[in-house]
Amino acid sequence: MSTVAPARVLEETTHRARRHRAGGRSAPLAGWLFVSPAVLLFCVFILGPFIAAMALSLFSYDLLTPAQFVGLKNFRTLLTDTTLVRALGNTFVFAFASVVTHLVGGLLLAVLVNRGLNRVLSYFVRVAVFFPFLISWAAVALLWKYVLDPSFGIVSYYLGKIGITAPGWFTDPAWALPSIIGVDFWHTIGYTFLIMLAGLQTVPAEMTEAARVDGASRLQSFVFVTLPLMTPTLFFASVITFIGAFQIFDPVQIITAGGPDNSTVTAVMYLYQTGFQAFQIGYASTIALVVFAVIMLVTILQFWGSRKWVHNA
Amino acid sequence: MTTVTTTPATTSRPAPEHRRRPFRVGRLVKSLLLLVLGVLMLAPLVWLISTSLIEPSEAFQLPPAWIPHPFSLQNFRDVVDLIPIARMALNSLVVTLISVGGSLLVASLAAYAFSRLPFPGREPLFVLLLAALMVPVQLTVIPIFILMRRLQLIDHLASLWLPALINVFAIFFLRQYFNTIPRDLDEAARIDGAGHFRVLFQILVPLAGPALSALTILGFEASWNNYFGPLIFLSTPENMTLPIGLVSLSAGQGGGPAAVVFAGITLVVAPVLIVFLVFQRAFVESVASVGIRG
Repeated sequence: MSTVAPARVLEETTHRARRHRAGGRSAPLAGWLFVSPAVLLFCVFILGPFIAAMALSLFSYDLLTPAQFVGLKNFRTLLTDTTLVRALGNTFVFAFASVVTHLVGGLLLAVLVNRGLNRVLSYFVRVAVFFPFLISWAAVALLWKYVLDPSFGIVSYYLGKIGITAPGWFTDPAWALPSIIGVDFWHTIGYTFLIMLAGLQTVPAEMTEAARVDGASRLQSFVFVTLPLMTPTLFFASVITFIGAFQIFDPVQIITAGGPDNSTVTAVMYLYQTGFQAFQIGYASTIALVVFAVIMLVTILQFWGSRKWVHNA
Repeated sequence: MTTVTTTPATTSRPAPEHRRRPFRVGRLVKSLLLLVLGVLMLAPLVWLISTSLIEPSEAFQLPPAWIPHPFSLQNFRDVVDLIPIARMALNSLVVTLISVGGSLLVASLAAYAFSRLPFPGREPLFVLLLAALMVPVQLTVIPIFILMRRLQLIDHLASLWLPALINVFAIFFLRQYFNTIPRDLDEAARIDGAGHFRVLFQILVPLAGPALSALTILGFEASWNNYFGPLIFLSTPENMTLPIGLVSLSAGQGGGPAAVVFAGITLVVAPVLIVFLVFQRAFVESVASVGIRG
């Protein structure tokens, strides 16, 4: 065993520790090595395809014959494409309805469940509200196609019992999109509900109780204490709900395929039809760029607007 | 009015008595309302399971059957005859395990570098990766489709799990989590002679358990339920995953009647329900933690 003066060991270790804190000599190489798998995959499956999609928007390509450079023709086509306008309109309606119903519904549910509820009932409600979120959209869409069937579906049957003639949920152009919004609410509300519940738990009970002691009513303490403290959560939920909603595709493709009469065609549904059914790869890439631009623009607007209403954002 | 003052002994929050009592009626209304809501949320699923377990000739009678009366497993036998559902479940499992396991490994390595190993260009690279969070799948899927055609991977499971190996959100989330773990811990290990791999896998990863389990659950959910990817990349029934196989069961020629489709949906939903009830806490906490941190 080598005998080294304790003071020397201490000095050496502190010296080495300092070197590591500053990064260490070996760090640059090690750092690059550790990120390299991620960077490689990122380039092949995100950055590369992103650049390729922009390039493809300048081509006419059907996968079989060689791609032809067409300049900005695809972008000019965008301007006169009435189906695209319809699709974007439907998608905005869907996304807006989705954000509003999820935020209001999720917050309301979370507030009701958060406190003063029997334990068993609280568990039951949490499970019942959250579970549909875990089921794949494919199963949810197929199930609801039958749940809302006009002849043997349960909703139309029970509405009929109380004297309401149910519309053709997915076959009436006026009802198809609202029906999809409803199904989406059933499927996804659990996610927003949990986020709101987690947000409510960050609101200190002492603060709402202090307000109540000072004579505020329940409603007042909710509006003036809880709600302001919940704004960061509401903001986060509105951003991710919008991003998710603007990409809505699965239920539309499975239940209505965009019909009837294009009343449920959404941006991604139209992209899918153009790219993978009509094989207009170039034009589909152009539509994908539009979807990306809209999502980015709205997200930036939400962040910009958040300074006005989000508490210490 | 006789007021029996029995404060529930189990309430964790001792609230002053005078504030509790006036809201008893309100609380009852609230409880009833939530009970009805919970029942309504679950009603379609009860109808689903009940209908799939009924003798096929009796299915979809009105009024709706909430109890599977002439009980029969015929619909499930028909599902097995119509689509290779066991094979589809296996495919789903393979894709999910490789996607989640692989992406978390890649993300752990990258997050370690972003948290602990300074190197030139680290911050710009991190920002570039974060920017990718905004790129929707639909934008990259077309070039990836062309790439997979070149690689002759169309209709192979690899076309699904290969692009899933890069999970930018997991890198971001893990890096944030690693940053909350005191550096003294891994520096002590480094001084004792541990290499970067040992520091990462024997110190940081075990301490990042909550973050990793949250990412595992969310990754599992995303991969297991993915519909868009399989719809584009897979075509033969033997290669399909469950969601797309289920839709093929209901579609036009070769598809089954509604009761058989219901049995198929039940087969897809039931395992998820069982896993969820077992790990309910972990599920709820994973979404909540990502929600707060995200």
